[in-house]
Order: sequence, then structure tokens, then C-alpha cells
Amino acid sequence: MNSRLQIQAQPTACQDDTLAGLRKILRVTRPDADVELIRRAYEVAASWHQGQTRRSGDPYITHPLAVATILAETGADDDTLCAAMLHDTIEYTPCTLAALSCEFDAGIVSVVAEAAALEQIKGRPGRKKALAMAAAKSADTRVLAVKLAHRLHNMRTVQFIPQAKQLRKARESLDIFVPVAAQLSLDEIEAELETLAYATMKRNRHARSAPGRLLVAAAALLPAGTRARWCQEWLGELHTLPARRDRARFAIQTTLGIPRLAITVRLPAPGRRRSG
Amino acid sequence: MKYALKMTGPVQQVLRAMLEDAAVPRYGLQISRQADLETGTLYPVMARLERVGWVESSWEDADLSISDGRPRRRYYQLTKDGAEQARLALAEISLRREKRRSSLSGTQPDPLGASL
Repeated sequence: MNSRLQIQAQPTACQDDTLAGLRKILRVTRPDADVELIRRAYEVAASWHQGQTRRSGDPYITHPLAVATILAETGADDDTLCAAMLHDTIEYTPCTLAALSCEFDAGIVSVVAEAAALEQIKGRPGRKKALAMAAAKSADTRVLAVKLAHRLHNMRTVQFIPQAKQLRKARESLDIFVPVAAQLSLDEIEAELETLAYATMKRNRHARSAPGRLLVAAAALLPAGTRARWCQEWLGELHTLPARRDRARFAIQTTLGIPRLAITVRLPAPGRRRSG
Repeated sequence: MKYALKMTGPVQQVLRAMLEDAAVPRYGLQISRQADLETGTLYPVMARLERVGWVESSWEDADLSISDGRPRRRYYQLTKDGAEQARLALAEISLRREKRRSSLSGTQPDPLGASL
């Protein structure tokens, strides 16, 4: 179901998320690309990410592949494309930089390493500053390009993460990544990222309203693994209610049922248990 | 007969509403209107029905919600087995109710209309 991932992307954007699709783009943007090297990076990444999936349910490798494809459209060099393929192996798999060094030359590994280092400061208040500083120093624009493409693909598939997180990513995209894209003159990435971020904020506007906030706060009573699903479901329902009064009523009524819902979702899976 | 879950009033209301057209997937607000239940009652019932496998829920196609500029909706649908069990359970409950009514009032219709 790869088609589900493609959201009215830019008309020029690649709709074909296979290695063949990447090759087709490279024939236009980088006829001199070392396709064999890129294919090897793909295979190494695919073997490390084996068995992992994205939130969308797609195999994880679709993400690094999409990131590399986005960068191929900008005419990025071989090292950047390989680093794009490998950029998540350090963070999300047991793969180490040393292991990568055995297979790829230092140029590729250093881009992967710097991208992973930027990822490390995720969630901390320092992240924004670090990214901004890295951009200002333009330490290695290739690292920033990988981060940008990474974010663009995540925003293309943002609907698979919980609303509150979608909003955070959208805001962060506008605050940090869009300016970085502008600075690197990656105009198409800048435009698409901005469009996706605004669309995400608009789609999730109810998450910030009083009823939305009440529901999200009350959902904290639910076990951690189930919260996101119910939050998303209720925020979706809020959207179907045009009248503000109805939305308030929905939020209050639903909240009243949350303690009981929490009991139900905490129950062990049914089997030999008798009815209850 | 023992059911997979307790057939409370709200559970019966939900099942009756959903059985009216078992093949149609609906989102929570639709069911709450059709079953005439507050959402605070509805969602715990849906969670119970889902737990025992009578109902399945799934996200609507993301492309659809995105082109409409809104979050995805969660849709509920009776499973094949669930629909069958629900029909049996509801039939049995109304049969029992009928029996009780006739044993309470003999063959006479209940003058007060208060029987259950």
C-alpha cells in the first residue's frame, strides 16, 4: 500500500519508491552517479532495518530510500545519497560507525555520524539551537540536506503519528527546517515542507482547542500504549462537529467515560475468562 | 447462555444500531447517535465489543482525510462472527423478556404496561 504514503506531493516529486525509481531520477539529475555504490548502501541499510516497520506499517527501508530519492532530485552527490540510505542505522539498529567504516569510505561515514549526532539531541531544548548553529556554520551542508530530506519524508507520512506529535513536528518544521532549506537554496524542499506543515496544523487545529486539550489531558488516564489511538479517534470526531457547543459537549461526555474505558482496556485479553 | 461479554442495556443498544446494517462501517459519533447513547457510555462499550472480537475498528484511508483537511476517523464494523453472536444474543434476550412477561401476567396483557 505504498500509494497511501504519497500525499499530493509536488508534481516533480518521485512517486516511485523503489530502487528503480531512484535510478530513474539519477539518470536525469546525476548521470555520473555511482549507482553500484548506492545500491550497496541500500542493501546494507535494508539488511540492518530488516524486520523493522514504519508507523505506516511499511518496511522501514522505505524511509531511507525515500530520503535518498528526495536528495537525488536535488542532484546530491554519491556520499550524500549513501549517507541518506544509511542515516538511521546508527540510531535505530545495532549497527555502529565502525561497522560502516569497514564497508564505506570516510566521506559517507562522517555524514552518517554527524547526522546521527544531530539526532542525539532530539527532544532536548538544545536541538533547535544545535540545528540552527549547524546551519549557520554550514559545517557540512550535506548533513543538513540529509536532515532536511529526512524531515520532509516524515512530514509526508505524518498522519501516522499521534496528533499532538504531528503538531509539534509541523511547528518545528516551520521554525527550523524551512529556514534551513531556504538557506541551502533547496527551494522545492522548502516549499513542500512549508505546505505540508501548514496543512498539518490546519488539519489538527482541534487538538489545540479547549475540547481537544481536555480530551488529550483526560486520555492520560488510559494506559500508555492505548492513548494515542483514542486521542486520534476523538480528535477526528471533534472535526465532524461543526458547532462549538457540540464539540464541548462531546469532549465532556467522552471524558466522563474515560475511567470506565481505562478499566476495559486494562483487562487482559479475553480467552477462557468468563464474561464481565 | 453465556455471552462473551455482559449484555448490558448500552451493549444491546449499540448492537441493535449496528445490526441495522451490519456491513456499514461507522465512526463513534454516528453509532452514538444511532444507538442514542452518550459518547462517554459508547466508547467503553466499543472497547469491550472490540476486545471480545465482535467488532473491529480501523483507520480510514489517510489520503481521504488529508484531501478533506481533517484527521483520520476510526471506523467500527461488526465482525461476521460478532454479528451472528449479537443476533443470537439479542434474540435470546427478547425471548426471555417475552417469557417473563407472559409468566408474570399469565395470558392477560399487562394492564399497567409495566412488565419487563
